[in-house]
Amino acid sequence: MTGHAATQHDPAIHAMDDGVDGPRNMLFGVRLGIASEVMLFGALFAAYFVIRADSGGWPPESFGGERPEILLPGINTLLLVTSSITMQLGVWDVQRHGGRHLLRWLVITVLLGVTFLGIQGYEYANNGFGLRDGVFGSVFYTLTGFHGFHVLAGLAFIAIVANRARRGMVTAQHHTAVEAASYYWHFVDVVWLFLFSTLYVL
Amino acid sequence: MTVVLRRSGLGTPGLTRAVAGAALGAAIGVGGLLAASAVGIRAEGGQLLGLGYVFALFGFLLGVGAFRFWLTWAAARPIDAAEEHAWHGTAGDWRRYFRFTTDHKVIGVQYLVTAFTLFVVAGSVAMLMRYELAQPGLAFDKEVYNTAMSTHGAMMITVALVSIIGGLGNYLVPLMVGARDMAFPKANALSFWMLPPAVVMVAINPLLGGFDSGWTAYPPLSQQANLGQQAYLMAFVTVGFSSILSSINFLTTVFRMRAPGMSLMRMPILVWALTVTATLGLIATSVVAGAFTMLLFDRVLGTSFFRASRGGDVILFQHLFWFYSHPAVYIMAVPGLGAILEIVPVFARKPLFAYPLAVLAFLMIGVMSFMVWAHHMFVSGMATFFHIPIMLTTELISVPTGVVFLTALGTIWMGRIRFKTPMLWVFGFLWAFLVGGITGVYLADVPTDITLSDTFFVVAHFHYTIIGATIYGLFAGTYFWFPKITGRMYDERLGKIHFWWFTIAFNLAFLPMFWLGIEGMRRRVADYPANLGPVNLFVSLMAANIALSVAVFLYNMIRSWQRGPKASPNPWNAQTLEWQTSSPPPVNNFDDIPVVTGTPYQYGSPPMVATPPSAAPAPVPGRPQP
Amino acid sequence: MSMRRHLVIAVIAWALLSAVSMVLAAGLSAMPEVASQEAAIENRTFTVLTVVSMPVLWLVVVGMTYSALRFRARDGEPEDGLPIHGHSALQAGWVLVTFVMVIGLFVYGTVGLVEIRGAQTADFQVEVHAKQWAWEFHYPNGTESKELHVPINRRVHLTFLSDDVIHSMWLPALGVKQDVVPGRTTEAYTTPTVAGTYGGRCAELCGFGHTDMVMTFVVQDEGALNAWLSTLPKQEHAQ
Ligand code: HEA
Ligand code: HEA
Ligand code: CUA
Ligand SMILES: [Cu+2]
Repeated sequence: MTGHAATQHDPAIHAMDDGVDGPRNMLFGVRLGIASEVMLFGALFAAYFVIRADSGGWPPESFGGERPEILLPGINTLLLVTSSITMQLGVWDVQRHGGRHLLRWLVITVLLGVTFLGIQGYEYANNGFGLRDGVFGSVFYTLTGFHGFHVLAGLAFIAIVANRARRGMVTAQHHTAVEAASYYWHFVDVVWLFLFSTLYVL
Repeated sequence: MTVVLRRSGLGTPGLTRAVAGAALGAAIGVGGLLAASAVGIRAEGGQLLGLGYVFALFGFLLGVGAFRFWLTWAAARPIDAAEEHAWHGTAGDWRRYFRFTTDHKVIGVQYLVTAFTLFVVAGSVAMLMRYELAQPGLAFDKEVYNTAMSTHGAMMITVALVSIIGGLGNYLVPLMVGARDMAFPKANALSFWMLPPAVVMVAINPLLGGFDSGWTAYPPLSQQANLGQQAYLMAFVTVGFSSILSSINFLTTVFRMRAPGMSLMRMPILVWALTVTATLGLIATSVVAGAFTMLLFDRVLGTSFFRASRGGDVILFQHLFWFYSHPAVYIMAVPGLGAILEIVPVFARKPLFAYPLAVLAFLMIGVMSFMVWAHHMFVSGMATFFHIPIMLTTELISVPTGVVFLTALGTIWMGRIRFKTPMLWVFGFLWAFLVGGITGVYLADVPTDITLSDTFFVVAHFHYTIIGATIYGLFAGTYFWFPKITGRMYDERLGKIHFWWFTIAFNLAFLPMFWLGIEGMRRRVADYPANLGPVNLFVSLMAANIALSVAVFLYNMIRSWQRGPKASPNPWNAQTLEWQTSSPPPVNNFDDIPVVTGTPYQYGSPPMVATPPSAAPAPVPGRPQP
Repeated sequence: MSMRRHLVIAVIAWALLSAVSMVLAAGLSAMPEVASQEAAIENRTFTVLTVVSMPVLWLVVVGMTYSALRFRARDGEPEDGLPIHGHSALQAGWVLVTFVMVIGLFVYGTVGLVEIRGAQTADFQVEVHAKQWAWEFHYPNGTESKELHVPINRRVHLTFLSDDVIHSMWLPALGVKQDVVPGRTTEAYTTPTVAGTYGGRCAELCGFGHTDMVMTFVVQDEGALNAWLSTLPKQEHAQ
């Protein structure tokens, strides 16, 4: 066979980027990736519940301090849920209207996410306890920290997509990345709902 | 032709730049923290190592060119099509094996060669251990022994995890399902290139004080241990990332890129096996990554997940670890099972017996392997009632595993068996894995496990299962697909010498270990009761023979790759798709994507005489795609 | 030869080999020292497992060997084998038989487990402290010692505590192996049946001193045990 003759426009080879099957492969892959992430948070939550069950009360007596207030994280929950909605509005917009308002929705989403991180940073700074303060500090900061890191990654992803949208590189036909980002963002949102209810409420 | 052949050097992505990137990354990480400590922020060795490693890893990957595409994409710049093509490499150019290359066949070979290299290194470390164990008393420091033992375990586990699925799997799956490449070629290359930094990290652990906790890294011991311990933990998390990424790739390829007509029940059994393996890797790996991260945080950041004195839970780690690591033993074994079932029909000249049942068995193994993890914890002190369901599920998993034996036996029964080298390895596999599996049932039974746990009986069990499944499967597969991969034939005589020498030495080395374990020889210990000396000496001598036989294999492979006789496209007259294209296959695998019309094992069907290879009509006729 | 002839020969070979090896295995006593009821159960379970494994082992080995000898193609023979299709009865039978065997083993194992760990009563209590790298034994009368002495024919309850890392108390002759875990108390029961002095060791890797974390222990009658206990100095702060 003569080397590269067929490669130039071969769908399979460029599956990731463009081509016939590419986008659907990409989204399939993103779903699988999220499945694996679910297990990662599953492990963290398992650790949380086991440690909590081990220690008579919660927070454990040795911890001394209080559980963080519910107000700020409550606001954060609203922010994140809203951002999930704005993200989805962006996706629908690009699917149905070719993305006339896509950029707007993405920017709003990013702003909401950044505010979320800002508030969380403020909370971290004013909690009065640290990562090294016993198991409570460990699970609190590790779980929210892991989640915060995912928020950051999601924001970077959305910002990149927004930039591409700004340059007109996202169209009704080519918007895989928008959908991928939305899957990821919804996932991050759902994880937060679990975190919020277990860490702050229950 | 717009193939850009790049010279290696600092100016272009490649190994040189990768190494420079790694060095720079390490310097930034360590330097940054040192600078921080200069202004009063305290930095410990663990934090230096951690940050240095993360930066070095990214420096390496950046340097090798792993992120070029994604960075270009992220910066919203146009993708250079010509450059992207160059990433496939040119068939026949050896330099592509040392570059970030997206051709799944190149990546497969990269994995294979890395795995065999690691196998030889870890095997040589085992020779060191057998030297110590040859006589009662201490030949060298206990620390040296424990570090050697842990390093051997860690490296061999990596070999077992990646060799078949990463090596043979990458090479074969797209060919077998009739695709031109994996679904995500660049992610595939990235998976591979994450391995070298991780492997180097494990290999240099003696420089960091060694690590003495064994591959299981149980805290609190692993929290006290040296920096070498931390090197292992970080390396393992990296390998985990790599295997999650490649699992996603395999699953997407299998579920979305099959050629027309290739229904699920027409897939070669190896593809099924690897699908189950990839699913296990996808679901289980992040759990151990989470556990190891918590352990790292305990060491480096001062958390107390596994610090009992501060409310942490020691047993929790074991649950999380085995929740991954038991499925992991099937991640090691199932590809081997798939490989030999692929080979059996070809040399027995009969269709694979009970194919649907075998598929079902693989699926059952996959599901059940998530329900048995606590059999590693029968003496750990977990609740007694929990022993009972775990004992049940663990013993039940013998049923689907046994089906593999039914399939193999049903296929060779009344066959026309040709004992080429790969087929010999299949028979060796059946024996070794049978012994390993049956002795696993002894361990699954709580009363016997109480006395056998943590002895050499366990060591013998898992060498019989891992070597029996993974290494035998790997050797069988490497011989079998050697002509496809290299386009040349290996030396049959040397192959047979390798088989007999290896098999005899392996059995003589590891069978006595069962007895040693029953007699009370503990694992992970440099010294043992003097009365066990003679048997240990014998074991050590036989272990040396294993090494010699492997040397024969290496010689055979290297020499045949250079000057073996040219192989025809289908030297075994096999029916799966990879044999219906040239040897080695062209960069795009197939001139035309084949259309599949039947199962891949139609041996002996109506014309009971097989046609000679040259004139063989493709049993899965191809026709040009519209 | 017809398929049936091959089968008959192979089955006869399998049955003979299995029968002989099962009889031999039934006489097996694997554990080098058996000095407690629990060790006896473990030893017996080992024997039962070996007996049951024999037919499985020979089934595969005879199948392999017979095929290798009788179904080998002559060089250059182009023929393929006869495809064996279907045989769903064989498939179902194989699955069913292995399933039943496994369930049998499970039931037997569970009975043994309950015998070993079930009854939560004891006549004699020892609290074991493990640390890197030594054992310490606290007796009910408030004394402590580096040696373990237990009464014969009494059910002994051992509880385990660790201050540092995980250890594992292994008393081979008594059939006891139990991890000693920091942060929680673990326990084991045993009923020694043969008096004597035996070796015990730490079975869980616990650092560089793990090799040397070995001890001896004594099984003796109650009188001798009490005499020995009274020679021990009382600890003020005994728990
Ligand atoms: C893939 C898995 C795998 C493989 C293949 C092997 C292969 C071997 N293993 Fe290993 N082993 C493990 C996985 C594996 N092991 C694991 C997971 C552990 C547990 C660690 C722990 O407890 O944490 C372990 C532990 C372990 C122990 C127990 C240590 C202890 O508990 O104290 C021993 C002792 O004998 C041992 C021996 C061997 C030997 C002799 C081989 C031989 O078969 C190796 C033969 C191969 C070679 C020797 C390579 C080829 C060499 C050459 C070609 C020589 C030429 C080269 C030069 C001249 C440089 N292994
Ligand atoms: C490839 C790897 C591999 C595989 C496939 C297996 C397979 C099995 N393993 Fe093994 N195991 C390991 C690798 C593997 N193991 C390793 C590495 C360790 C040590 C980890 C460490 O601590 O370092 C270990 C440890 C280990 C333990 C813990 C021991 C201890 O530390 O105390 C146990 C306990 O239950 C166990 C059981 C089993 C069982 C029941 C199977 C079964 O899946 C086997 C099933 C197969 C058969 C039974 C044979 C074929 C079946 C038939 C022919 C049907 C009929 C059979 C019957 C009716 C019995 N294994
Ligand atoms: Cu204590 Cu090993
Ligand atoms: Cu297991």
